[in-house]
Amino acid sequence: MTNKRFVSIVLGIMCFALTVCICIQVKTVKQYSTSIGQNYDQNNLRAEVLRYKEKYENMLKEIEQADNQLNEKIEEATNQNTDLEDAKNEIQEGNKLIGTAEVTGAGAIITLADSNLDASKVLDPSKLVVHDLDVFYVINELKNAGAEAISVNEQRIVPTTAIECGGNIVTVNGEKIGSPFVIKAIGLPENLANLQRTGGYLQAMKDAGLTADFKKSNHITIPKYTGIINYKYAQSVED
Amino acid sequence: MKHIQKGKITLIIIIGIACLALTTIMFMQFKIVNQGDINELEVMREEELRTELANWKANYEEAEMQYKQKMQTLEEYNQKEISDTETAELVKKELAQVNLLLGKTDVVGSGITITLKESQSAEAPITSDNLNMIVNSLKEAGAEAISINEERIINMSDIVLVSNSIIRVNQQRILVPYIIKAIGNQAYLESALLGNGGEADKLMKLGHDVNIEKDNRVKILKYNKDLTAKYIE
Repeated sequence: MTNKRFVSIVLGIMCFALTVCICIQVKTVKQYSTSIGQNYDQNNLRAEVLRYKEKYENMLKEIEQADNQLNEKIEEATNQNTDLEDAKNEIQEGNKLIGTAEVTGAGAIITLADSNLDASKVLDPSKLVVHDLDVFYVINELKNAGAEAISVNEQRIVPTTAIECGGNIVTVNGEKIGSPFVIKAIGLPENLANLQRTGGYLQAMKDAGLTADFKKSNHITIPKYTGIINYKYAQSVED
Repeated sequence: MKHIQKGKITLIIIIGIACLALTTIMFMQFKIVNQGDINELEVMREEELRTELANWKANYEEAEMQYKQKMQTLEEYNQKEISDTETAELVKKELAQVNLLLGKTDVVGSGITITLKESQSAEAPITSDNLNMIVNSLKEAGAEAISINEERIINMSDIVLVSNSIIRVNQQRILVPYIIKAIGNQAYLESALLGNGGEADKLMKLGHDVNIEKDNRVKILKYNKDLTAKYIE
């Protein structure tokens, strides 16, 4: 009899523990979204999106490997050929300017961040937020000041980069980024420092209560573009 | 006695099944929580999910294609001790690709030509901001080459307003009418500008004369200045 009671108590505790676990899980999942599990199709779609994202990322890694191997081969092949040495250097330099190679150098780091002011105390809360246009204009000013390589939150600016407004976030190279925006640029630091001028865009942002920090740096590393640039429409022609 | 035992067995089986079901549900839940960037995906609606899926699929396919190309080139290298001329050919091909992306070559392809004529009676003049936004919208729509009044837009091109009236692209002054050429998918490029709230739409509403023409052979000139990095180590 005592044995039976013991078994019942153990089972009871187990059931209780399991139920608690499930409750916690359900609650956690609910925090992410209330819509989960409502629609089988949607869940399937989500899984599919994740799958393709993963596949894409894996493919990028493989491409990088293939690239390395190719570079080695080219290196080997061009070692005996001085004519090709120039072409090879040109390719390397070109990749740095396009954004398909990591670069280092002197430059500046600009940090843009949303205001800390209480949004309920101002007329237009939108003015307390860094917008896609702010990021765009700062990048344009950097280009104007002679920047040679730029990244925003580690997203390299390449010829096809667009800066889009995505609601609460900003999209660069199709990747979502948010405040604070850390913009790195390589160029002559003294020239880049012109962005701080009175009446300049950074100053205007500061006046509006936003964070717009400018810092010169002697050593900046800007990552390479992680995606693929592949032209389907444009073709080179001889002039 | 026998009766009790039977009841006991049924009870145990039922509890066993219940436990199994509970554990299964738990694992299902765990799995859903575990899937890393699901966070972002959770809040998306069905249509958004579909576009997202299409985007990643396209990305993946493009990557796969490029990977295959690379592997093929690699294969070419591996298969034979290739001769000097063949190596030269491959290096040249890669260099051509780099120059294309840099904007160092004239390019042709299907695309659109936008002509902006400033109207004196318009509410506001056309500024560098308008041109900047047009370029950004075109890039968003997948433009592969862009020029404004034959000034090629390269990676580090700037468009600025000097003394409130002079627009400079690549530090060169440009004058009205502004002729913007872009190569890419014509439908995408056009709709990026013409849609409600698009830059061309905005300018038209201000009273400027905007004309967009599709052309199957747009020619965009190369960037004609020196392109060497001085500060990149």
